[in-house]
Amino acid sequence: MQRSQRWWTVWTVCVLVLLYIPLVSVILASLANTRYLRFPHRIWTIEPYREALGLSQTYDLQMTSLKIALCVAVVSVLIAIPGALAFARYDWRGRKFYQRFLLLPVFFPQSVLGLAALVSLSAMGFDLSWRTAVFTHAVWIVPIVTLIVSIQVYGLDRAQEEAAFDLGASRLQTFFRVTFPQILPGLSSGALFAFLLSWSNLPLSAYTTGVDTTLPEWLYSRMSTNFAPMVPAVAVLSILASIVFVLVWQAGRVVVNGVMERRKQLE
Amino acid sequence: MKREQKAGLVLMSPPVLLLIAGFLLPLAFVAYTSLMPPRTFGFTSNITLENYVTAVRESYWRPMAWSVFFALATTILTMLISWPIAKALVRKSRRFATIVATMIAVPVFIAETVRLFGAHLFLMPRGGILAGTINYFFGIDIGSVLFTPLATLIGLLYIYLPFALFPTVLGLSQVPADQVEAAQDLGASPWQQLRYVEVPIASPGIIIGSLLVFVLVLGATSESHMLGGQSAVPIGFAIEQRFNYAQDWPLGSALATVLCLITALLVFPLLSRLDLDRLFGR
Repeated sequence: MQRSQRWWTVWTVCVLVLLYIPLVSVILASLANTRYLRFPHRIWTIEPYREALGLSQTYDLQMTSLKIALCVAVVSVLIAIPGALAFARYDWRGRKFYQRFLLLPVFFPQSVLGLAALVSLSAMGFDLSWRTAVFTHAVWIVPIVTLIVSIQVYGLDRAQEEAAFDLGASRLQTFFRVTFPQILPGLSSGALFAFLLSWSNLPLSAYTTGVDTTLPEWLYSRMSTNFAPMVPAVAVLSILASIVFVLVWQAGRVVVNGVMERRKQLE
Repeated sequence: MKREQKAGLVLMSPPVLLLIAGFLLPLAFVAYTSLMPPRTFGFTSNITLENYVTAVRESYWRPMAWSVFFALATTILTMLISWPIAKALVRKSRRFATIVATMIAVPVFIAETVRLFGAHLFLMPRGGILAGTINYFFGIDIGSVLFTPLATLIGLLYIYLPFALFPTVLGLSQVPADQVEAAQDLGASPWQQLRYVEVPIASPGIIIGSLLVFVLVLGATSESHMLGGQSAVPIGFAIEQRFNYAQDWPLGSALATVLCLITALLVFPLLSRLDLDRLFGR
């Protein structure tokens, strides 16, 4: 027993190391000034970062990705709240069918999801832009967020809701005062998941952004055709951007928790 | 009871409407486009099966076969790789599990393109990170697996490992530790323990994980594009080319429809077996 446990740990650590090699490689490759990658670099420099930051295109790409990801996060959470209550809270005929139907887009090749959106959107005469990408991302991300919120809803204390009802609270009051605070942690992680999944998505964006270009799309085309150390530098900057976002999000979460605690104490 | 029925129907409608508009309807459009004459746009009433005939005649079964092969190989290998990790995550201390799980989850949220690009830079011949380092220290020139089907497979394993791992962890966490101990006390060999105790109880998680990996790899394109090159073209890439370069939407749609059918054939029976309430509710 002991020996096999040690063996699992060694294996786990080895796999972890392998998983991080590509990320380290991107960083290493970004620290040169040569036209082609010739590792180890003769000159190590952060020049590519200066170049990447000086390029207005970098900001445009980040802004397009940011716009899409923020919209997707908001839309997903708004749809996932009722979706999760139907998934996990209420007992109704057709629920089992609904649960499976909701999971279908997740168990589906994403490139086909993207091109199906392209075919139908253009058949209905929509111009493709970042807005259509938000819609397509949502089709894939809403089920995932609904599942995350559902896990929280399963743990909901129903007695509290019923008590609120018995004490004469309206349905909306019950939701905002009792249900919502209880599922807030699920909503928060759901929103974060939605943002990050949208931020890093390629197959759905590739078919549906039309005139707009997201960061992953740009990287995809530049990496294969037109390499320069500036390209991995932009990639590293995009990773930093998502790290910053996660940190800001966590900080916001701490603040909100603090406020909620205060309110509880005051009441 | 009646109130709950009404609440359920009202609350389910936002996500269901979204999926009808963004999933079912688009798939219907794709299926219909696949019946249009080759290289046409728009919808007419001239329905033809010509695209499906072309798909077979122009040997599109080849990229389809590559995709199925990659999906199968990735599913089996990611499952084998993640099983010991899942055991470690479930059986070892909470702190260890949190750190490892976080470290594996974080890259999932970094764009696939960035990570595959990193793998590309690492594996590149001559000046690549691996080959360059070895050449610098030992003065030997190792070859490169880049632009072979093996490189694609490496990329797929790298990207899809977390999708196999986390559902497996979910499944394994439902195996009671005392049940495993009881099996050991009764003299079960490690293999018997795996075969008769762990795998059956963890099977919902294993099913979800393998299904997810299989289906996602079936449609994956960037791994072969960025690592395998033209050595093994998967069906997703062939479809993409029909849409973007060849501007032959009907043929692309026919290929996509076939891919959908394969997916449906796998997903429907497996998904209907799962008890989602038990799996996520606990």
